[in-house]
Amino acid sequence: MILALTEHENQNFKPLTRELLGMARRLGQELEEPVAAVVLGSGVDGLVPELGALGIDRVFTVDDPALSAYSPDAYLAALGAVTDALTRGPDAGPKGIPNSRRPYLVMAGHAGIGPDLLPRMAAQLRRPLVAACVDIEKQGERLFMTRQIFNAKMHMRVSLRGEAPYFATIAPGAFPVSEVAEEDRVRPETVPIELGEVHIRQRVIGREETATGALDFGSASTIVSGGRGLKAPENVALVVELAQALGGAVGASRPVVDAGWLPREHQIGSSGQTVSPKLYFAIGISGAIQHLVGMQTAQCIVAINKDADAPIFKVAQYGIVGDLFEIVPEITKIINDLNA
Amino acid sequence: MKIVTCMKLVPDPTARLLINESKSWIQETDLSFVLNEADSYALEEALALKEKHGGEVIALSVGQESTLRILRQGLATGADRAIFLSDKRFRGSDEFVTAQIIARAVDKDGGADLVLTGVQSDDLGTGTTGVMVAELLGWPHASVVISVDAAPEERRVRVRRELEGGITEEVELESPCVLTLQYGINQPRYPSLKGIMAAKKKELRKWDLEDLELGDDAVGVSGSMVEVAAVFVPERTGDVEIISGSPAEAAARLVEKLRKEAKAL
Repeated sequence: MILALTEHENQNFKPLTRELLGMARRLGQELEEPVAAVVLGSGVDGLVPELGALGIDRVFTVDDPALSAYSPDAYLAALGAVTDALTRGPDAGPKGIPNSRRPYLVMAGHAGIGPDLLPRMAAQLRRPLVAACVDIEKQGERLFMTRQIFNAKMHMRVSLRGEAPYFATIAPGAFPVSEVAEEDRVRPETVPIELGEVHIRQRVIGREETATGALDFGSASTIVSGGRGLKAPENVALVVELAQALGGAVGASRPVVDAGWLPREHQIGSSGQTVSPKLYFAIGISGAIQHLVGMQTAQCIVAINKDADAPIFKVAQYGIVGDLFEIVPEITKIINDLNA
Repeated sequence: MKIVTCMKLVPDPTARLLINESKSWIQETDLSFVLNEADSYALEEALALKEKHGGEVIALSVGQESTLRILRQGLATGADRAIFLSDKRFRGSDEFVTAQIIARAVDKDGGADLVLTGVQSDDLGTGTTGVMVAELLGWPHASVVISVDAAPEERRVRVRRELEGGITEEVELESPCVLTLQYGINQPRYPSLKGIMAAKKKELRKWDLEDLELGDDAVGVSGSMVEVAAVFVPERTGDVEIISGSPAEAAARLVEKLRKEAKAL
């Protein structure tokens, strides 16, 4: 069985969970393994029907006040309770439980809870984990996974040794969500599982939105963003001047903000803002997945980068491979001439 | 407070990477290597905590001889001593095995109040090793931490973690614990001349497989459950149109296309 760990907030599944579930269904068909979603939390019953609409016919829920806020201890115990229930079910006859019920692969998204929890569980069970997967396939009896390395500039294909269960987190954006056909929408069978006693060593004290005072990118139809390729703080001016010429906003990838070249409110990506402008310039940005998830829905993406293999070119509509210090001023000049 | 801070040697993230002949990793000859950026914030946080609460900071690294450089850098920056985990048989270890090597070393050194790591490495970038170390030590952990407030006498640590979409969360956890620290959370100090001189006299302990009492078959490629099949540059899947020409020509063509074709201007 393939278990997909869902993540939700305010009674809604996160976008990455939808990618995960779609991917798990396709993989389940290929591997001929049943697929089940795992929903952990407090007051989660309302989430189940939506899983059916996403084509998931089996759901394990662990509903407990101890799960209302995320903690590695409580969530590890909850996910463990699900896998235990699968391996020690009531129908475990003399020959043990049927193979189809053994957890074969446990998956989560590579953001949020997934990368915080799955490594712990994999280490606890001493089973292999592959993080940030973009592909999973079986060849013979062996499972192969492809994962992103070097900030998605390269991929590494690996095979897993030993017995199941195997663990994987999937890279955001690697598995686009496809429409679930009407006939595949189901009413899921739900199996509630008890959490039991758990000693929680981490306590959430508070939550804060730090995006307050952030730039309002929402209204900008054009965003010009700079990345590590700018090399020095004074070169941020190149990005600012092009943004001014286009009447757009200035964005940045994480390294630029970390280096203090631009204030944090300019940051676009998984730990910054998500934008969807009409036109997006990525200048000297290689396109780490953390940045891509924040801008890949822009209508038109232009990438300027010296490295032809940079992953940013995979989401771009137009690309220029070359020296941004020569190219960007030329673009600014042309736009300014047109404006004049 | 006894703080162990983990340091990893990685290829310079701005370097152009090429794949090696056997397609199993990148070409490492002529490549420059640096301290993993996220680990530099962990080291700074460790030094700041020591300044506030007293105790000692131990820089720890798993690697080959070339890795000694970053441990010396850690000592020169202010770490009190270093632990170098090195053995030819460690080569090819996956994250789980690496975590086990680190956890064993922490144990052998008599435990700690805190183990810090960078949130992820700039090479494999999975962010999983630190979390696995916590599980193997049986300690709680917090990942993607952006600030640390310790109360050593009460054996607890209060941290702020970064969640997605600009949300942060404050968490209190029991110590000893493992924290993985986010990029950019502090201003790492540079080693001073005095620090560099002082580093030469500091203890740098080397432990190998036998010291850690791990089996031959528990480390390296043979001990790893994740086996590398191939490393490759992903194919461009999108339909990007590469615009060529001199900078001026390319710029003019791009603007033309943005106006006429994409109607984005």
